[in-house]
Amino acid sequence: MILDELEKRLRPPARAVPSYPPKVIVLASGKPLVVRQAENDDIPILLEAIEPLVRVRKDFYDIVAARMYAELLSQYLHRTLDPYCLIGTIDGVIASIVNGRMIDEKRGMSYHTLTIHRGLRCGAHMFAAKMEHHMDVLKQEEVFIVAESYLGFKRWMIEYQLEPRPDFQHELGGVGSYALTRKLYDTYKTRLLAGTRPVPPEVLRTADTLILPDEYPQIPGFKR
Amino acid sequence: MPTTTELYAVDRNVYAFRCPECGALYYPAPMVCRKCRNRRDPSVTVYPDFEKVPLGGPCRLLTWTRIYALPEGIDRPSLAFGVVEFTNGIRAVGVLMTEKPKTGALLDARAGLVRELVGRDCYGLQLFDPSP
Amino acid sequence: MREVGIVGIGHTKFGRLDYDLVDIMAWSSLEALKDAGIEGGIDQVFVANMGAGAVNNQTGIASALVSRIFLEPAMAETVENGPASGASAVKCGYLAIAAGMADTVLVTGGERMRETTGWKATDFVATLTHPDAEYAYGLTLPAYGGMFTRAYMERHGLTEKHLAMIAVKAHRNAEKNPFAHIEETASIDGIWDGPHREVVNPVMADPLRLYDLCPVSDGAASVVLTAMETAGRFKKKPIRIAGIGQATDTHCVFNREDLLDLKAVRLAAERAYAMAGIGPKEISLAELHDAFLILEVAESEEVGFFPKGEAKKAIERGETEIAGRIPINTSGGLKAKGHPVGATGVSQIHEIVKQLRGEAEEGRRVKNPRYGLAVNFGGFGNNVVATILAKE
Ligand SMILES: [Zn+2]
Repeated sequence: MILDELEKRLRPPARAVPSYPPKVIVLASGKPLVVRQAENDDIPILLEAIEPLVRVRKDFYDIVAARMYAELLSQYLHRTLDPYCLIGTIDGVIASIVNGRMIDEKRGMSYHTLTIHRGLRCGAHMFAAKMEHHMDVLKQEEVFIVAESYLGFKRWMIEYQLEPRPDFQHELGGVGSYALTRKLYDTYKTRLLAGTRPVPPEVLRTADTLILPDEYPQIPGFKR
Repeated sequence: MPTTTELYAVDRNVYAFRCPECGALYYPAPMVCRKCRNRRDPSVTVYPDFEKVPLGGPCRLLTWTRIYALPEGIDRPSLAFGVVEFTNGIRAVGVLMTEKPKTGALLDARAGLVRELVGRDCYGLQLFDPSP
Repeated sequence: MREVGIVGIGHTKFGRLDYDLVDIMAWSSLEALKDAGIEGGIDQVFVANMGAGAVNNQTGIASALVSRIFLEPAMAETVENGPASGASAVKCGYLAIAAGMADTVLVTGGERMRETTGWKATDFVATLTHPDAEYAYGLTLPAYGGMFTRAYMERHGLTEKHLAMIAVKAHRNAEKNPFAHIEETASIDGIWDGPHREVVNPVMADPLRLYDLCPVSDGAASVVLTAMETAGRFKKKPIRIAGIGQATDTHCVFNREDLLDLKAVRLAAERAYAMAGIGPKEISLAELHDAFLILEVAESEEVGFFPKGEAKKAIERGETEIAGRIPINTSGGLKAKGHPVGATGVSQIHEIVKQLRGEAEEGRRVKNPRYGLAVNFGGFGNNVVATILAKE
């Protein structure tokens, strides 16, 4: 790839960062949720999947979707240092998306969790996968987390008993940050983290080509 | 008239209530004795109140649970409850403070702070393993 | 006393409904009037609701409903009997007609609980318990569900797998019910046998798991009642209210001599059977109040379908499935159809009428039913209403 001089100065250096090994979770319905890292080429279709939720004026879907849209766009256009995005798919259909980035070797920054498919705890599984990525794959010591929605706050801050870090300003702004430490992760992962590896090739293949959801429980009567 | 000290004292106990007429014991307090129909009057103006008997001490665990979805205002991941029976036959709910509860186990109930509501500290029974 | 029949039924979808509570109730009310083939002529409205004041900051909702659908000057009041409000309101409608105070009554149960968070909804339902001896501890209804389940399992050898099997049945029935809150399948591979059971179906009120508990729902259901002697003027053949029974029990569950004895369920059912002149053997299907799946098990024994401790064998043999000997919770039950508390009792009766008329959806339709039983369970069994409906 040939980069011009100005682009080089705006683009953060790409570091060699381990990528998330795919896993599969058997959901309550019996269907597999395949969780894998999104490649840069996956991002345009993710943006398309997120876009309708930008206009959902309830449960803070609008702000979470709008911010994640911008974050993934920034990742796609190489304006974020060491970002990552994990996607969960059911039969190839995008069910849930999580993202974040590495601050440095030891510390991670959680951005957002956006779940389209409701009712099967996909969001909880994906948030747990994100913590797994920071702790077990990137081998970090702590992850900084804030929430925009009430549900997110209760879910993450209370289920994981995150430690308040009022003096640390999270990149998303807002109130002081909370942090997941390795100790908390080890305490709660048996109850909150699931998944089997390696994913059987025929199951993993279902997540190769991402499919846009044709319904959004958040948008009654949605038509693409 | 209560003394000033009494007026501001915080009562951290949990009580059973004894009928002053026939001695029947209740928890929580009824407004009439089931056995002798003697009335209870919390205002102590028309009838005397029932006698307060501190509830606690040795008890047996009848059943228990640990809940992971707590009501508004309790910001912790889980809380365990048990139903216990005291030797005097009185039963109550308590917060389990033991690591591995077992139905039928002998426990020690002590009154303590169990919940902080807006403007109200709630004292209730906490259930411990019996001290050796 | 005059005989009373049901000539109209209406229902909203259960789930999350972002509309005003009275609008939600108006919808099912209008559906019931349409089903009865009438536009007015209602003498009395009974509204079943538990939380309008506490959750939605609305009071006087029976009057508001009457006005929203232009039923003035009908008589109207709200009936609050906790989660048994629905069947209590139907009972009030029955009494009004039987006594000759009214000829045609609209009963609507409605609730909007998802306007608030799940934690506040849990807290609101917990206000049913004793303020000092239970509520002050943070004790919730699911906590009692868990403690009851543990005691039942230890005494009768019921396993978590039995409950998972009931959950799968509930989801299967709900999937075919267009009004059901839960639309997702639950499979035994996912919630019981699956490799990730502990995370996919976590313990919520030990030993009860996520899939053993009902969701928090919004929704409304309505029925139109009328005197059997004049029911011929309506569009559809009436379904007769053959028996109603009700009983209460101690407010504090721990003060029951036997923690597993749901005496109010047994007495309510006995009274309803006596009034209907039948026994449990004549019942073709039942809607049992399964806010926690253990309640379907325990109630099925208390109402006389199975001897105590034996319901698990019936579950293993599939006797409570649609094609079984005594189908239970053909609607999906509270577990999967959803549980807007004030609406639930009316919704159960709606389902029985639908089944007795033969109008239930393909795949969840019970064959040739004659009598249906509904058990609406208030508090943790401290106020229970049983209703028996009959196809004439
Ligand atoms: Zn007495």
